[in-house]
Amino acid sequence: MKKVLFTQTEGGKGFYLLLAILGAIIGVGLLGTFHMEHNGHWVTGMNQQIVWGIPHVFAIFLIVAASGALNIASIGSVFGKKIYKPLGRLSALVAIALLTGGLAILVLDLGRPDRLIIAMTHYNFRSIFAWNMIFYNGFFAIVGIYIWTMMEKRMNPYSAKVGLAAFIWRLALTTATGSIFGFLVARQGFDAAIMGPMFVVMSFAYGLAFFWLVLNASYRMTGRELGGVMTKRLKNLLGVFVAGALYFTIVMHLANLYAAEHKGVEDFILNSGGIYTTLFWYGQILIGAIIPLAILYYPATGNSRCGVTFASLLVVLGGIAQMYVTVVGGQAYPLVLFPGHEVSSTFADGVINSYSPTLSEFLLGIMGIALTLALVAVAVRNLRFMPASLADSVADPHSK
Amino acid sequence: MSESNQTDLTRRQFVGKGAAAAAAVTVAPGVLLYGAAEARNLDQPASSDVRWGMLIDTNKCDKGCNDCVTACQTENGWGGENSNEKNSSPEQKAQWIRKVELKDISTGHTQSLPVMCQHCENPPCVDVCPTTASMKRADGVVLVDRHLCIGCRFCMMACPYKARSFVHESLTDQKAHAPRGKGCVESCNLCVHKLDAGEGVTACSVSCTKGAITVGDLNDEKSEIAQQLKNHKTTQIRADLGLNTGVRYRGI
Amino acid sequence: MKPVRKLLGLLSAALLLTMLVPNAIAEVGPIIPKAIKGKQCVEDTSEMRRNHMDYLKKHRVEALRHGVRTKQYSLKECLECHVPAKGTETSAENGQFCKNCHVFVGVKLDCFDCHATQPEPLDAKAAKLHPFATPAMKALGRIDQPHSAIVMNRLATEKREAE
Repeated sequence: MKKVLFTQTEGGKGFYLLLAILGAIIGVGLLGTFHMEHNGHWVTGMNQQIVWGIPHVFAIFLIVAASGALNIASIGSVFGKKIYKPLGRLSALVAIALLTGGLAILVLDLGRPDRLIIAMTHYNFRSIFAWNMIFYNGFFAIVGIYIWTMMEKRMNPYSAKVGLAAFIWRLALTTATGSIFGFLVARQGFDAAIMGPMFVVMSFAYGLAFFWLVLNASYRMTGRELGGVMTKRLKNLLGVFVAGALYFTIVMHLANLYAAEHKGVEDFILNSGGIYTTLFWYGQILIGAIIPLAILYYPATGNSRCGVTFASLLVVLGGIAQMYVTVVGGQAYPLVLFPGHEVSSTFADGVINSYSPTLSEFLLGIMGIALTLALVAVAVRNLRFMPASLADSVADPHSK
Repeated sequence: MSESNQTDLTRRQFVGKGAAAAAAVTVAPGVLLYGAAEARNLDQPASSDVRWGMLIDTNKCDKGCNDCVTACQTENGWGGENSNEKNSSPEQKAQWIRKVELKDISTGHTQSLPVMCQHCENPPCVDVCPTTASMKRADGVVLVDRHLCIGCRFCMMACPYKARSFVHESLTDQKAHAPRGKGCVESCNLCVHKLDAGEGVTACSVSCTKGAITVGDLNDEKSEIAQQLKNHKTTQIRADLGLNTGVRYRGI
Repeated sequence: MKPVRKLLGLLSAALLLTMLVPNAIAEVGPIIPKAIKGKQCVEDTSEMRRNHMDYLKKHRVEALRHGVRTKQYSLKECLECHVPAKGTETSAENGQFCKNCHVFVGVKLDCFDCHATQPEPLDAKAAKLHPFATPAMKALGRIDQPHSAIVMNRLATEKREAE
């Protein structure tokens, strides 16, 4: 295998145009956020029943994808697959950027974002949420060091060990993120231990799909070569991950269908839930899994960069649909306080809760994605994250 | 310990100055029994010897009667016709206590009862709160420390009773004893200002003309609530979760 | 040449300051409404001006999290003295004691996002006072206005001990 040359991306008009576009999206998103925080959450569609809405859908998607995006680096240095090594730096960078984007959304949606310092100084160690904050901060630190060991020649020998630490850390992080929902024992829509591991497998798929989109776009924009060998490798990996996520989804719903207690919520998601049922079958299953799998494994489309890109885009859209079904759908189904009874009250007992998100929520969510992309763009411009070429001659398939 | 020393000090101080007050004792001996178990000096912290609780007799609770809810609104300054949440939609307005109408699907039997924070011994809201804002006092009252609340709403996700509300807008005209404001989560506080003042009642319990709501110390065997719990079959909502609620129901 | 110019510059700046500053303070200073009750705050005025936030913060933890309901450093009691009760006509003109100063010095005041800015009206408080509380209140001295039940409880204990 040839020695890989890493270079910064070129500046120029294209770069600044990209930054301007992303900056504009971030600006508009911040305006929406300011509108939300200045007036209070009454300007959003969120209410007493649907307490987490669109911002959380985007935030949790990005956070889950963050840990998944690190996988390429892990496979390279932890599992010793040399072909992935040239992608290690970019993979770690995209991971950090995704986490930053996700956390920015989460923080800006708080009722009191001005009190963020309290979240850093008052920890409740029983809270899975507080655990997540430790995992997130640790992720920045460990992946930061990981990037350093990959980029600094003298530190190269340590990169495998640090990579292993980062890999274990990201597994714990995603499990904890999934457990935010899995541990909500009172809610029929969430209470499932499988959610932790399921989120891990989903993170593989979402992270890789997002990573491919970034990789493909940046290589096109900078006119670098991305060969068929690398494309095929990543395509195969994405196919396996998407199938894995689909498998976990099926197992979770089968297990829930088996328990009489969960029949109501299962019927809601799978059959009678309106928008949630639509998003589940057409969004999460069809767009997010079946069509991408067909594209990836049909030779004519699976071996082209366009095909992989289109499949990745669908996986990302399906992922956002999945988060919507999980987060909002789980809240829309009414809490059961009195089993075997019909209930009614002034506080939406016994009714399907409605949620109509407003523009400012979407702007905040999109802002997180733009922030992620802007961070990546600035970083690859200023530091040597990207291999100058990923042509087949560089990414030799026979070198293991 | 310093706690007992302080009590002694107060007592001595009292003996020194209390001749006039001592007279009042003999004037009204009957009053002495009331509240004797739960009263606590103002400078003493809440004690874990006490566990505040509430018993709701659903047999006495009238369908369509909303007195307890109205009383809570007046006492704590939320909701109602002159709600200070002027911009929030009905789905966004806070509700500390609500009346729930039940109908048994198989038998058609109907019931009505109030639901509010159940003041669990093992409250999920306290477990999940990242900043310790959601808290349980030594005497079992579950509260939100708004000074630490960042408005993440995870407690609302975790509560099995939908007891928590989020304030969606800036507020004015709060009650002096019941602070509440934008961006924080809130819920029934068992009228803790009344309990701490030694009143031994809540706004809802006082308001109920049928006497369906009893408030008291669950740990004190002689209290009315403990006696009722001992002598009658009572239920906790979602007892399967093992939260050991401080609010119990009779007749469901 | 340079040091001279510097000195001249400093001098003129100092002159400007002495001319402008006293006037500025006199005109722009915050309106501080007089306390409604009492002449002496719970600590020296200078101490309270500098450190009131520390007293309040310490008290808020004890009161809310531990249920210690002493009144000396409670925000509610500050307002009892410094701010007219709800429904009092004059309250709007002078502004609010806490806010006036905080706005002037530009320090964000978070308390009143949640706390009431004014005490409850007097008649509402009077209705809550139990007739039996009055003599006992005096007897207890440092604790003002405890509820009757506390007093009665204390009386009962004393009586039992006496017997």
